[in-house]
Amino acid sequence: MDELDSAAFSVLEAIASNPMGYAADWKRRAGRPVVGSFPMNFPSEIVHAAGALPVIVQESRTPITEGRSLLPEFYCSYTRSVADQAAVGELDVFDAFVLADHCVQLLGAADVIRWAKPETPMHFAQFISSMDDPWSGAQVRDKVASLRVEVEEILDVTIAPEALSASIRAFNKNRHLLRQFYELRKTGRLRVSASQLQVLVKSSMVMEINEHNELLEGLLAGLDPHSHAPDSLVRLHLSGHFCAPPRPELLDLIEECGVLVVNDDLYHGTRYISTDVPEEGDPFDALATWYLDRNISAPCGTRVQRNVDWDTYLVDSLESSGADGVITLMAKFCEPLMLYYPELRKALDTRDIPVLLIETEHEGLAAESVRTRVETFVERIRRQKLKVPSLA
Amino acid sequence: MTLDLSLSTQQSLSTRQSLDLLPTRPRSLETVDKSNRLKSTSLGGKMVAEYWDNIFTAKERGKHVVWYNGTALNPIFQAAGLEWCHGEAFSARLAAMHLEGPAQQAGEEYGYIGELCSYARTHLGCAVMTQKGITEKQSGIVGMVDQDELASKLPSPDFFVNAYAGCSTGQQWDAMTYRVFGKDFPIFNVSLPMIWGNKKDSGYLRGTEWEKTPLYVEEQLKKLIEFIEYQTKRPFDWGALSENMSYIKRASELRLEAMALCAAAPTPATYWDWVASIAPINFLPANQMLVDYFQAVKDEITQRIVDNVSAVQNERYRVYFDGIMNWNKLGFLTRKFAEYDVAVVAGRYTHDSFWQEPQLIDLDRPLLGMAQHYLICPINHGLKIMEELLIKRCDEFGIDGIAFHSTRTCRAMTNPQHILARTAERDRGIKTFSFEGDVADASFYKDESLESGLVAMLESIDQQRAKV
Ligand code: SF4
Ligand code: SF4
Repeated sequence: MDELDSAAFSVLEAIASNPMGYAADWKRRAGRPVVGSFPMNFPSEIVHAAGALPVIVQESRTPITEGRSLLPEFYCSYTRSVADQAAVGELDVFDAFVLADHCVQLLGAADVIRWAKPETPMHFAQFISSMDDPWSGAQVRDKVASLRVEVEEILDVTIAPEALSASIRAFNKNRHLLRQFYELRKTGRLRVSASQLQVLVKSSMVMEINEHNELLEGLLAGLDPHSHAPDSLVRLHLSGHFCAPPRPELLDLIEECGVLVVNDDLYHGTRYISTDVPEEGDPFDALATWYLDRNISAPCGTRVQRNVDWDTYLVDSLESSGADGVITLMAKFCEPLMLYYPELRKALDTRDIPVLLIETEHEGLAAESVRTRVETFVERIRRQKLKVPSLA
Repeated sequence: MTLDLSLSTQQSLSTRQSLDLLPTRPRSLETVDKSNRLKSTSLGGKMVAEYWDNIFTAKERGKHVVWYNGTALNPIFQAAGLEWCHGEAFSARLAAMHLEGPAQQAGEEYGYIGELCSYARTHLGCAVMTQKGITEKQSGIVGMVDQDELASKLPSPDFFVNAYAGCSTGQQWDAMTYRVFGKDFPIFNVSLPMIWGNKKDSGYLRGTEWEKTPLYVEEQLKKLIEFIEYQTKRPFDWGALSENMSYIKRASELRLEAMALCAAAPTPATYWDWVASIAPINFLPANQMLVDYFQAVKDEITQRIVDNVSAVQNERYRVYFDGIMNWNKLGFLTRKFAEYDVAVVAGRYTHDSFWQEPQLIDLDRPLLGMAQHYLICPINHGLKIMEELLIKRCDEFGIDGIAFHSTRTCRAMTNPQHILARTAERDRGIKTFSFEGDVADASFYKDESLESGLVAMLESIDQQRAKV
């Protein structure tokens, strides 16, 4: 069969839509702590190796209430939602929080958590965001070391290098399995929607990794990929959207407009699974290497690096997927994306690749207006493809 | 006349005059300007204008030009014989002169969205215009850029240096400027970690985190100097750096002494005078003129105390200003607060920034003190330290209320405001209000949010006083 098995998939779907429920259940089952981390570069392996459940805190779908009076309305939906979750007690399942990313808005939300839950430890291992300085590697190694000390202290355990190596292998396997789904989608041999792939990635961010691996393996085993997508569909690449997943209904709406999403660089997508941790050498150093490697395999607007460019990476991935255009999904008020977007647009414009920008908000989706814009965009691409090549 | 210049905060508090504490009065229809700004700060305006005029001719004078953002690296640039263009400073200047339009429009055309930090988008717009200017020169096609616009006058950079504390946007902004110029000029990044303040021993200027982090930054500053030496092909003048820092240290001491005098009630100078003095302390050349400027400011304040001259006629409320400055509205806000008998006495942006701990500057090891100052930028602390600083300032200046400028596009400055407001009320019973505006985009300013919030806060202060 060339579609996902619905029974196995629905398990993952349920967990992706209720990560806190899963975490609470796991905690009861395992009798061990749950540690919350934040996007987009935290090495979950280290928490896993300490015997706890690492969970990347997700944007909640519930309306923001208390959070309104804790973070201003001009913050991205993810950080406003996190602040709200902290204020209304939705984060109570966590025994500690850890983060590595310096985004000014994220730190605002982290401060709200510290304020709302002063008794819960919160460690900030600030990984350097300037990636190619002579001291970048040493700085990250230093931060991984302090992270290790902190996690050991909070959880009252010692992280053995062997345990970390085992966790690294489990997470690498998970990324490898997820990449297979992406690869099958890209080649058109698997009929999987963008929102379904989002479920696979999102659930991997919140589940015990070995459990997730088992479910993914089951899903893959049930596939018999052979079909090809109809040629009438316009092949698009989805770009942007850091930290939080775009609403599944938005992804569905895009695909309903005669679109086949063939690839993406979303955080809840290719960006998350882009890079493996080296399995040789010191496992703690390997986490530092992973962090630095990630921005090379999938450059990100939240990092600065002279010798890699997100725009070049985007153009290259369009070539490999055969996408006809790009939809940039931007969480409203996300500054790194607002800053990088003109460079992406410039690179695409220069190559005559159509691009459409859609802003997303926590509060909802202006479905009809988005639909009209996507349909117009798709029509434009169709016409462009029909253009008779000039004889000159 | 020589006066005792070493009035401590404690002394000034005890010399407080009694305030007229009648409840909020209805305003007269005809609003008179009740503010009384310092005269000495006008010299600063002249110094700043001359500084920029000089920058605009840097290329003709064969100078190396560095574009930089964030922390005050200028003493290093000055010692290296460079000309320095501070991104935020130029954006602020354009906004204060109401000349930000063309740069913001150029930024918008390039693709920057209106919700992006307006300092960044204004400055990136300038970069777009400067880059077009370069293309014009190369292509011989003129007219794409109006050379008369102030925004287009920045000389193109020879290289960039970024050292932005607290705000991730600051670093990303320069990474984009670097790309607007087609990566043609090198960029050097100094990474400034947050002082997160999570440990038991953490606090303002204390704890292991505080002791360790500046050393890491100091090492990067040494590398920066090697980079500059490579760019300029000249050995760095360490003696000049110490000399520059000696002027800065003295200017800073004078500034702080003068600020401390404003603990007196009514205050002889306001936050707005300190805003007018930001440019000199933040990026003007370190020299005797800088010291003289702050000496003159302090002298005028001292004299005002002697003559019993206040900065706001009939001061009845003492307010602290939290948030980055709204540069489009400097004069307007000065008059507006004074109209309600409010003396804005101190603020996070003015009092917890800009070489505010001069005792840290060791002329024999200037880079360490500089690194320490870069790390105590008021947006580079975690919440606990912010709370500590806010309460300290409120106590020092006898604050009755806090105005939070909810700066639409500067998330770094607005980050902790809601919580700080709760802390001030909880710990000191201080009333607060929040109003909407922006650092360099006038369209976000909401007069009604200022007016209604301010009146409501003053009424609660009145009620509180009536109870007492
Ligand atoms: S990177 Fe963007 S989406 Fe993520 S926390 Fe920062 S502003 Fe929000
Ligand atoms: S958002 Fe504020 S702190 Fe950040 S770069 Fe802009 S002006 Fe600076």
